[in-house]
Amino acid sequence: MRGPSARAFQQGFLKNLILSLQACGSKARVSSSGSASATMSLQERKRAIKSSADIAMATARGGGARWPRAILASPPSSSRPWKASSPGKVRARSRKIVRRCFRTRRSRDGTGGGDSFARTRSVVSSSEIARRLVRKRTKVLRKMIPGGESLDEISLLQEAMDYVAHLHAQVDVLRRISNAVQ
Amino acid sequence: MSSRRSRASVSEEEINELISRLQTLLPSARRRGGSQASTTKLLKETCSYIKSLHREVDDLSDRLSDLMATMDHNSPGAEIIRSLLR
Repeated sequence: MRGPSARAFQQGFLKNLILSLQACGSKARVSSSGSASATMSLQERKRAIKSSADIAMATARGGGARWPRAILASPPSSSRPWKASSPGKVRARSRKIVRRCFRTRRSRDGTGGGDSFARTRSVVSSSEIARRLVRKRTKVLRKMIPGGESLDEISLLQEAMDYVAHLHAQVDVLRRISNAVQ
Repeated sequence: MSSRRSRASVSEEEINELISRLQTLLPSARRRGGSQASTTKLLKETCSYIKSLHREVDDLSDRLSDLMATMDHNSPGAEIIRSLLR
């Protein structure tokens, strides 16, 4: 992403970021009871800035990609929810185990006796294997990109490129703000 | 060439094209000087790059929140941010 489109995105991102931070700040001031100096605790402020940055990035990107919608559909309460968390890993592992059991059970139910190993192999078609290899390749990438779980491989790669380019710009703007303000 | 095969080979080309374009975005692209890396390696590198960008955003956000804590409405820092918007 270069030139005028990058700058337009960065300006849009910055504007959205400032607006949402102001909104967070005024909300906190309204809700905090009494104390004149207290606005937000440091933790709250950190969380607000992080979620504001992601939402600002998604809003500034607009409709040309899929990841902004995924970000806006589930605004993060803590950190990025589309990242793999340990309960997710456990679930994925148990799903794999269930799938393995189901596969052997399927072959056993299919016929009476005979070579169960050969039968297991014939149940899994080659297109199924190809599909599983592709999914294995892109498994981690899907978790890194918001909304990536349901995409086909080509869309996933396009989303990845778009997301990386805009993450770049986000980092750029945040760095420049930090340097300007300190 | 059967229709199914041509469809599959077009997808393969598209994927390779996208992957080489993705490679140019990654930081290692400058070092490598045009040699082809395996798809799996590139995908892994993309994932770790996204992860490091996320971490950088988190660090910068933390830094910003620390700075903003010391900033009040009329300080020069606030004025800088306002001027960035004009």
